[in-house]
Amino acid sequence: METPVDTSQIVKFAMLDQLLDLSRANSLWPLTFGLACCAIEMMAAGGPRFDISRFGAEVFRPSPRQADLMIVAGTVNKKMAPAIKILYDQMLEPKWVIAMGNCAISGGPFVFPNQYAVVEGVDKLFPVDVYIPGCPPRPEALIEGILTLEQKLTGKRRWPVVKSD
Amino acid sequence: MSPTLDQIREHFSGPGLALSVTPTEHAAKGYHLDVSVAPAGIVPAAQALYALGFGLDAITGVDWIAQNEMEVVYDYFHPASPLRIVVRSRAPRDNPEFPTLSDVFPGARWHERETHDFFGIRFAGHPNLIPLLLPEDADYHPLRKEGAP
Amino acid sequence: MSAPLKIEPATGSGETFVLNLGPQHPAAHGVLRVKMTMDGEYVMRAEPVIGYIHRMHEKMGENRPLAHFLPNTGRVDYLSALHYNHAFVGAVERAAKLEVPPRAEFIRVITSELNRISSHLVWWSAFLLDLGGFTPLLYAFDDREKILDLLEGLTGSRLTYCYFRFGGVVEDLDPGFAERTRKFIAEMRPRLKMYRQLVTDNIILRKRLEHIGPISPDLCLKYGATGPVIRGSGVSYDVRRAEPYSVYSQLDFDVPTFPESDSMARYLVRMEEIVQSLRIVEQALDKLPDGPVLGKVPRVLKLPPGDYCYAVEAARGRHMVRIVSDGKEAAYRLKLRTPSFSNLSLFEEASKGMLLADALALMGSLDLVIPDIDR
Repeated sequence: METPVDTSQIVKFAMLDQLLDLSRANSLWPLTFGLACCAIEMMAAGGPRFDISRFGAEVFRPSPRQADLMIVAGTVNKKMAPAIKILYDQMLEPKWVIAMGNCAISGGPFVFPNQYAVVEGVDKLFPVDVYIPGCPPRPEALIEGILTLEQKLTGKRRWPVVKSD
Repeated sequence: MSPTLDQIREHFSGPGLALSVTPTEHAAKGYHLDVSVAPAGIVPAAQALYALGFGLDAITGVDWIAQNEMEVVYDYFHPASPLRIVVRSRAPRDNPEFPTLSDVFPGARWHERETHDFFGIRFAGHPNLIPLLLPEDADYHPLRKEGAP
Repeated sequence: MSAPLKIEPATGSGETFVLNLGPQHPAAHGVLRVKMTMDGEYVMRAEPVIGYIHRMHEKMGENRPLAHFLPNTGRVDYLSALHYNHAFVGAVERAAKLEVPPRAEFIRVITSELNRISSHLVWWSAFLLDLGGFTPLLYAFDDREKILDLLEGLTGSRLTYCYFRFGGVVEDLDPGFAERTRKFIAEMRPRLKMYRQLVTDNIILRKRLEHIGPISPDLCLKYGATGPVIRGSGVSYDVRRAEPYSVYSQLDFDVPTFPESDSMARYLVRMEEIVQSLRIVEQALDKLPDGPVLGKVPRVLKLPPGDYCYAVEAARGRHMVRIVSDGKEAAYRLKLRTPSFSNLSLFEEASKGMLLADALALMGSLDLVIPDIDR
């Protein structure tokens, strides 16, 4: 049996790759996809006080074809799961997923024995890059999540880490 | 304009309309009149209340597994008076069927679909009794008590 | 457009097509899906398909003690979480005959009215976003953050509050709260004037909303629509007046109604409600009595068997909690009667024959929160 060879692992265009990664990291286009409470905090992150556009991630796109970042902001239930899977498949590569809030991470407060509706974690549907805990996470947490994703893309952190005293 | 409690009680005093009419304290219960009717009395009660200017507040089911009965509770509110009326009716649990209210209050359609979702209660004459909150192919009724933890 | 629209088939052949709006759609406020049968640009039938964020709140109410369900109430309609807190603790207090200290009641009123303002500000920005205006969002979220600062200092969270407890509230006001709130009220009033100049008096907005989406009072009653929707149809129904709860009977406020019944009327009701809420907060701060904020509550709370209701005026209308108790620690049946559910149910009938863009304006003017519909 022939093993498929991924040439991208062998042939590297170092400078070009770095440049592309840097550009991608600084202009993430999230999909406008509010599910529940977390979506309001996502809106607040786009609002004047937190102003996510400082980090280049404010261009919320209503169409999955134009977006490269899916922020799953809220509870996914079994009725919604097929639709969200289609949205993920419609996004063009390369694409990243942020699971925002406890519901997207694990089902959050809506998990109990024999529950009948909630998908217990969006990573059961597709791979997730960054998890942001909170119920809902604060806008600062979402920004931190975006910075973490940038770090994942470029390999280094552009912005200083805020340390608590 | 706004009806008095006595007027409403009078409406239910006719023979065969209501099984029981109990005035309650709003401060203790949250409603003024608790009317219990047979399933056949649900639509006449709704028509009478609609004629008096009441609006449909909510419809909900309760699964009384110990008594082997299903109950449907209809809430009414009045926009111009503080009165709140509760109409309730019971049917045997193995064949829970009630007449639909959708001809009097079209808003009942969604409430009845939701009650059907949760309890499997059927509403005879409902134009479109398909799952509302559950997935289209759902065949379970999550709020029935036999599967309760 | 001055006259209500009539259905004029675009093709004359009666040929229709189905347009699927959602469950992911920028104009559909979250995961609402509307199946629209269209004739050209005209809506022949718009059938909302809901349940895409059904989160089993009523089931959860049955399988855990009452106090454990309290955080859930902040997540049903997350934009007016405190009203939902209030309805649930109110129902439990009514059933268990708990005394609430007067100071706690006043704090409840102050915080819920602040929450109502922040909820209306989110509606305002989202609604105008639907209509194509982005700038108002930036102003409204700026003001909303000030309210969130006030409430966050008190409740510990920005959005999904769980601040009320059976028999009172969890924490007393901090010393600077009254002063900061008064400062906010003083800042907010000129902002409302600015909103009026920027948006409300805008001719484009007027043209988009006036005479669009009429909803008659009778339709409201048939579908149980409440809140700004019924008040925008000229019916002065407000739970704070009809079934006075908490200390609302001691406060002086108007119930704004507009008889035009169109989308603009519903818009104006909400804008006027912000003014009234500011008034209520101001009065409640003046009258705030001293004393404890949490009454005596038994450690294990069991409600006497029976059926108890408690209704509040949430930001979207009448919210009622019904607890059917069988004497155990958990409720036997917990029903949440939510305003958005009833308000949306009339959309199918009200949107018949409208232009698609107008139907979306109508939908926005209903102020929908989807988890509030699906529960």
